[in-house]
Amino acid sequence: MLSTLLSQIVNGLVTGALIGLIALGYTMVYGIIQLINFAHGEIFMIGSYGGLAMFTYLLPTAIQNQWYFALPLLLIAGAAVSVGVAVLMERFAYRPLRNAPRLAPLITALGVSVALQEAVRVFYPGATAALPFPKAFVEGTWEIPVPGGTVPLRWTGLLIIVVALVLTFALNTFVNNSRMGRAMRATSQDRDVARLMGIDPDRVIVLTFVLGAALAGVAGVLNGVDLGFTNIDLGFQNGIFAFTAAVLGGIGSIKGAVAGGFAIGLVKALGGQYLPGGTAYDYVWIFVVLIAVLVFRPQGFFGETERVRA
Amino acid sequence: MTALEKDVVTEPGPAVEPRGRLAALAPYATALRAAGGLLTVIGAYLPWATFVLNEGPYPEKATLEFFTAPFGVSGFRLHLLVFGIVALVLAFVRTLPSRGRILRALGWGIVAVTVANGLYLTVLGGGFGAITAADGAVAFGAIVALIGGALVLVGAFAGGLGEQLRWGRPLGRYAEWAILLVVFTLLLLLVAAVLTSGGQGSVANPYSGAVFLSFLGAVGGLLAALHAAGVLTWVTAMSERHRAFSAIVLLVVALALPLTGAGTQYWMTVAANIGVYAATAIGLNIVVGLAGLLDLGYVAFLGIGAVVAANFSGATAARFDIVLPFPLVMVISAVVAGIFGAIVGSPTLRVRGDYLAIVTLAFGEIFVRSSQNNIGGLTGGSNAIPGIPPVSAFGQAFNEKLTVGSVELPAGALYYFLIVVIVAAVMAVFGNLKNSRLGRAWIAIREDEDAARAMGIRTGPVKILAFMIGATLAGLAGAFFAHKTGTVSYESFRFLESVTLLAAVILGGMGTIPGAVLGASILFVLPEKLREFSDYRLLIFGIALVLIMRFRPQGLVPDSHRRAELAPEAEPPPPDPGTGTATGKVAVQ
Repeated sequence: MLSTLLSQIVNGLVTGALIGLIALGYTMVYGIIQLINFAHGEIFMIGSYGGLAMFTYLLPTAIQNQWYFALPLLLIAGAAVSVGVAVLMERFAYRPLRNAPRLAPLITALGVSVALQEAVRVFYPGATAALPFPKAFVEGTWEIPVPGGTVPLRWTGLLIIVVALVLTFALNTFVNNSRMGRAMRATSQDRDVARLMGIDPDRVIVLTFVLGAALAGVAGVLNGVDLGFTNIDLGFQNGIFAFTAAVLGGIGSIKGAVAGGFAIGLVKALGGQYLPGGTAYDYVWIFVVLIAVLVFRPQGFFGETERVRA
Repeated sequence: MTALEKDVVTEPGPAVEPRGRLAALAPYATALRAAGGLLTVIGAYLPWATFVLNEGPYPEKATLEFFTAPFGVSGFRLHLLVFGIVALVLAFVRTLPSRGRILRALGWGIVAVTVANGLYLTVLGGGFGAITAADGAVAFGAIVALIGGALVLVGAFAGGLGEQLRWGRPLGRYAEWAILLVVFTLLLLLVAAVLTSGGQGSVANPYSGAVFLSFLGAVGGLLAALHAAGVLTWVTAMSERHRAFSAIVLLVVALALPLTGAGTQYWMTVAANIGVYAATAIGLNIVVGLAGLLDLGYVAFLGIGAVVAANFSGATAARFDIVLPFPLVMVISAVVAGIFGAIVGSPTLRVRGDYLAIVTLAFGEIFVRSSQNNIGGLTGGSNAIPGIPPVSAFGQAFNEKLTVGSVELPAGALYYFLIVVIVAAVMAVFGNLKNSRLGRAWIAIREDEDAARAMGIRTGPVKILAFMIGATLAGLAGAFFAHKTGTVSYESFRFLESVTLLAAVILGGMGTIPGAVLGASILFVLPEKLREFSDYRLLIFGIALVLIMRFRPQGLVPDSHRRAELAPEAEPPPPDPGTGTATGKVAVQ
C-alpha cells in the first residue's frame, strides 16, 4: 500500500516537474503582456520534434548512443527550434496586436496553436502518427527500497526533476538579480514607465518569449526521452495542464509555476489512483482543480491579490 | 461635370497605402483602366492551358487543344469577359462618382478569378509551362488577364476612388416590396449557384475546387462592385424598412432551395449541416457577440443536446428504453443543455475575461473526456451511439424522398426544411433578444461591466442567462444533429469544433445574425468544396484566424453598434453614419 502511494507520488513529481517547466513560459508571458499564450504548448511539442530531427538527421551514428554527447545536443536543438518558432510567433502574430483589445490576441493565440500543430503534422515526415523518440539517456529504473516493497523511479524521470529544479533556480536568479531581469520585472509592472526609464519593452518581451520557449523546448525533449515517443497532440494537453499549474501557483510567479506544476502532477497521479474512475478520469480532475482555482482563488498560491480584468 | 470631377480627385478614399505613390499616375488613370479592361477581355479570349493536364482538359474549354473562342466563352472566361467590358466602359464614363471604387472591386475580382485558375493550372500542370508556352503552343490567357486585373486596380487607385454612391429616397411600399422580392430571388439563385458551382469533387470531376474558387472570386468581385455602387446599402436599407416582409420572403426563399439546382441529396445534406452549425453559431453569438463572454467549450452544449436526443431515440445503444416524439426530444435536449449552460455560466459571477475563457474550455474538456469514457453509460464512449432512427412524421421518414403532386423533393430535403425552420426560430430569438432590455444589458456588460453594474444591471443573473440561452439554442441544434447524422460520438464535439464555431462567429462579424450564418457557411462549405486541400485544411484555418484578427477583427459583416471591443483604436468611423444601414437600424429601434 505504502509503496503504491509512494510510487504515485514519484510519478506525480516527475509529471509535475515537466509541467512546471512548461508553466514557467506561460507565467512569464502572462506576467509581462497579460496574454494567455495558448500556443505555448505547441512550442513545447515543437521542441520535442526539434530534438528528434537533430537525432534523426544530424547526429552521426557514432555518437547517437553516447548519451553524454547526444542528450545535450538534443536539448540544445530542441530549445533552439522552440526559440526560433516563438520569436517568429511573437514578431508576426502577437506584436501587431500589442495594443488591440484583449479578445484579439487570445483568438490569435488559438489560431497560432492550431497552425503550429498542423504545420508539424503536415511538414514533419511521419508526424501524422506518434513517432518513436530515442532513449538517448540511460534506460532503466532506480528501485528505491521502502517498507513493504520498492518504489521505481526511472532515471529519465529523475533527470526531469533535477533539470527542472536547476533551470527554475537559474531563471529565478536571472530574473531577480540580473539587469535584464530587473527590466523584465519593471516592464511587467508598468510598460510605459519602464519605457521612460530607458527600457525597450519590445526587447524585454522577446526575451521573455525566448526564455519561456527555451524551457519548453528542453521540456519537450526530456518528455520525449522519458516517454520514448512524441506526438503532435502532446502540446495542447500539456499546455493546458501547464496553464493550470501557472494559475494554481499564482500567475506571474516563478516559484509558483513550479509549485503549481508539482501540485498538478500529484493531482493527476493520485487522482488516477485513488479517485473514482481511475486513470481514465485523471484529466477530468485536473480540469476540476483548474475551475475551482479560477473561481475561488484566482490569484493562486503565490500570486498578487486579484487585479480587475476586463 | 467639373464639380464631380473635382470631387473625385479631392475626396479621400479609405486609407489605401499605395495611393500616395500611385498619385503620380493620376493623369494616366483613364488609360490604365481602359488598358486593363481591354487586356482582361483579350485574356478571356485566349487559351489558358498549353497542354491537356493529366486530369483532363481544363474546364470551360480553356485548353488550347479544345479551345472554342471566339465562338463560345463560358464559365470563368465569361466572368472575365463581363468584368473586362464593364471596366472598359467605366473607364470612359465620367459622370459616375464612385467608379473608382467599382473599378477597384472589379480589379480584385479579375485578379481573384485569374489567380485561382492560374494557380491550379500551374500546380497541376507542373510549372509555368502550363500557362505560358510549351511545344510551340502558347497560352497566355492567365498572364494577360492578370496584367489586365492589375492595371484596372492601379488605374482605380491612381485616379482616386471617389465616394460610395448613395441612392435616392425611399420608393412607394409596393415598389419596394417588388424590388425586395426580385433581390431575394436573385439571392437564392446566387446561393444555389455558389453551393453547386464546380459540382461534387470526384475523379470524374477533378477541377471542382478550381471552378468553385474561381466562381467565388467572381461573386466576391460582383458583390463588392454592387456595394461600391451603393446597391447593397440601398437594398439593406430597404429591407430594414420592411423587416417583417423581408423576413417572410427570406424564409420562403430559403425553403425554396431544394427547387433550384441545389436540389439533390448531396447538396441538401451539405446545406442541412451548414444549418446545424449556423444555428449553433448564432447561439454562441449571444454569449460571445452580445454579452462579450468568450466561450471556448461551447460545442459541448451541442453535444449534450445530441446525447440527450440519442438516448431517447430508441437506438439500441441508448441508455433509456423510452422513445419520445421528436418535438418533445428537442425540448428536453434544449432544457438539459440550458441547465448545463447555467452551470458552466455560474463561474462568470467571479471570473472575468480570459480566465473565464479557460473555465469554459475546462468544462468543454470535461465533457469530451467524460463522454469518451462513456460516463453513466450515456454517451457510448468510443463506440459512440450508432443507429439513431431518422425523424419521421405522418409515416414519412425525413431522410427519404418526398413527392408532392408533380414536384419531387430530393432525399434530405425534409431535414433541410426542418433546419431552416430551426435556424429561423433561433434567428428570431436572437433578433428579439438583441433589441430587448436583456440584450441591451448584455451589450452594456460587454462594453464595460462595472459601468453596467453601476447603471443598475444585475450582472450576475444576466450573464448566466446569456450562457443559458446560448446553450439552449445549441441543445436544440444538437437534437436535430443526432437524428440527422444517425450517430453521436464524442469525436464531433472536441475543442477544435468549439474553435471553429468561434471562428465562424468572428469571421462573420460578432453580434450580427447574417455574420454568424455567413461565417458558418464559409467555414463548412470551404472544406466540403476544397477536398484536395483537406490535408492543409486546419493549417490554413489557423493561419486564417491569425490574419483575420490582424486585418479585419470586426468580421465580414460588422455590427454597427459594436466598435469598442474589437476594432482597432484608430479605426475611422464607418463611412456613412448618416445613411443606409445605420439609419435603418436607428429608425427601427
